[in-house]
Amino acid sequence: MRTINEAAFLPTDLPVQTPPEPIIEFKGVSKTYVTGTHALRDVNVTIRRGEFVFVVGASGAGKSTFMKLIMREEKANTGDIIVNRFSLSRMPKKQIPMLRRTMGIVFQDFRLIESMTVFDNVAFAMHVTGAGNREIRKEVSRVLSQVGLGNKARSKPLELSGGEQQRVGLARALVNRPDLIIADEPTGNVDPNMSYEIVALLSEINQRGTTILMVTHDHNLVRDFHHRVIMLEDGQIVADNAEGAVL
Amino acid sequence: MKLRSVKYLTGEGVKSIWANRLMSIASIGVLIACMTLIGLAVLLTSNVNQAMNNLETENVIMVYFNDRNSVLYGDSETLSSALAAANSSGDASGTASTASGSTSSTASTTASSTASTAATTDRYQIPESAYLIHNEDEAKAVCEEIRKLDNIHNVEFISSAQGLQNAKETVSDGGLTTLLDEDNPISHGAKVTLTDLSRFDETVASIRSVKGVDKVYTVRNLAQTITTIKNVVGNAGVWIIAILLIIALVIVSNTIRVTMYNRKLEIGIMKAVGATNAFIRFPFLIEGVTLGLISALLSEGVVYFCYRIAAEGLKSQFGGGMIRFSAMAWQLLGIFAVIGVLAGTVGSLIMISKYLRKEGSEFRAI
Ligand SMILES: Nc1ncnc2c1ncn2[C@@H]1O[C@H](COP(=O)(O)OP(=O)(O)OP(=O)(O)O)[C@@H](O)[C@H]1O
Ligand SMILES: [Mg+2]
Repeated sequence: MRTINEAAFLPTDLPVQTPPEPIIEFKGVSKTYVTGTHALRDVNVTIRRGEFVFVVGASGAGKSTFMKLIMREEKANTGDIIVNRFSLSRMPKKQIPMLRRTMGIVFQDFRLIESMTVFDNVAFAMHVTGAGNREIRKEVSRVLSQVGLGNKARSKPLELSGGEQQRVGLARALVNRPDLIIADEPTGNVDPNMSYEIVALLSEINQRGTTILMVTHDHNLVRDFHHRVIMLEDGQIVADNAEGAVL
Repeated sequence: MKLRSVKYLTGEGVKSIWANRLMSIASIGVLIACMTLIGLAVLLTSNVNQAMNNLETENVIMVYFNDRNSVLYGDSETLSSALAAANSSGDASGTASTASGSTSSTASTTASSTASTAATTDRYQIPESAYLIHNEDEAKAVCEEIRKLDNIHNVEFISSAQGLQNAKETVSDGGLTTLLDEDNPISHGAKVTLTDLSRFDETVASIRSVKGVDKVYTVRNLAQTITTIKNVVGNAGVWIIAILLIIALVIVSNTIRVTMYNRKLEIGIMKAVGATNAFIRFPFLIEGVTLGLISALLSEGVVYFCYRIAAEGLKSQFGGGMIRFSAMAWQLLGIFAVIGVLAGTVGSLIMISKYLRKEGSEFRAI
């Protein structure tokens, strides 16, 4: 039996037999920081292509650690993590840039370069992949109108509201057409109305097939957007409303 | 890396120089100071070397050959042993001497007295077998032998007549020297100059061992002094340049550190969106190298003016013989460019690698 939430994003005209392939798999993953803090303990979880997952839990539960392991900012002590077919425990350091090009990262504090225009902030992510100028112009315009900032391309970040700034951050994460969006408290620094807007935007992106992983403290968002919720407590998954989730 | 990435990143590197213009100007200033000092050290060393080279070729070694005069007017031992050797071999024939025998030197007085007791028909009769050089042609042949030796700059043959002429010019004592015309006591000889004075002793030794050479007169002290000055100036030059190079390196890496600090957010974002380390490094490299090259060009101009002023002041010390700037201009620019590129590359790579090596916490501020 499928949950209502999961069924919502599945194309209705296709008969669903096999579930989509996993995009993220945690297999017995533990993370202990050098300080001795056990941030994650024996975490096992599978996230499939096309899912939208909220990661919730109290402060210090290990949510950010969970996200950092996925983007390989931190390395697990034990167990293996598979992200977009990269095995993170076996992957050489040199491969990290390639892994990250398959995902878009959204930061709580936006991380926009103040001296650059909105356009350049988004284009920046494309230059890294060696894209050409014409392609960059085309894709940046596309993604800016997708987040509703088509008319703000020439503005500087500080001339925008918090919600608008985060939408620039979202545009930057989207511009390379990633399979996966990683967002650690993307609504943490914007007001409640803007939060809804941003999650609505993410849901829309998710409708087009992109997997979304989002950490949030906002219960209203979790309640109002019907998505899969993984709850962490003291470094362990204590709740997961996905079908077949084993706890 | 793709060509268009290189283009883009080069632009970013140059932009960063402008964005950090205060820091850039400061580091260009220090780099110019370093390069100028290095340039002046190079010019000074070259000038001292040239001056010393001139002195070197002016440091004359006088060589006298083993001819009749050298036996006759040499020390008494030489003469008596020569005569003894001649007598025992039964060869009594010798070139008849027309010398009057009146000289002021003790050696010749002794020689003449010894000779008079040994001689049978002529007071000075010395057998030809007692010496090796019998005429000018043989003397010139010895000059050729010397010329063939290593480290010889020039060999000038001085005949015994020329030698007397030279002596007369230096010793202005009319009476005495006219007397000497009758019986010239000076041997055939040669003025020899060396190429490299640091090999003075070994070269003199090999001149001495040439067959037909009797006496070698040298001014060894001068040779040593010149060699010492060259060594000291050379060593000092190397040290000055080494120290200034290190300063240049520190300056560039410091500028790059400031740039990196200013751009830590950018670096973090670059890493987040999948930039390779090479991609992140490149603009910093461009920035460092550009700073180095700008400094190199400006230094060339500064050194030109400094050298002109210095040349005015030092004219008296160096005579007119200072090296012209134009003769060294390209060489200096080359040196500056190499220093600039080196300091820029190494300075920026040291800094950026220090940061990039850190694993984890890569999105956080430095
Ligand atoms: N770099 C680090 N070094 C050492 N300990 C760390 C580091 N990062 C996190 N921790 C510790 O690991 C535990 C989990 O931290 P984490 O940041 O994953 O929590 P979180 O769930 O994201 O909390 P919050 O909701 O406050 O952001 C905490 O006890 C934290 O102090
Ligand atoms: Mg957190």
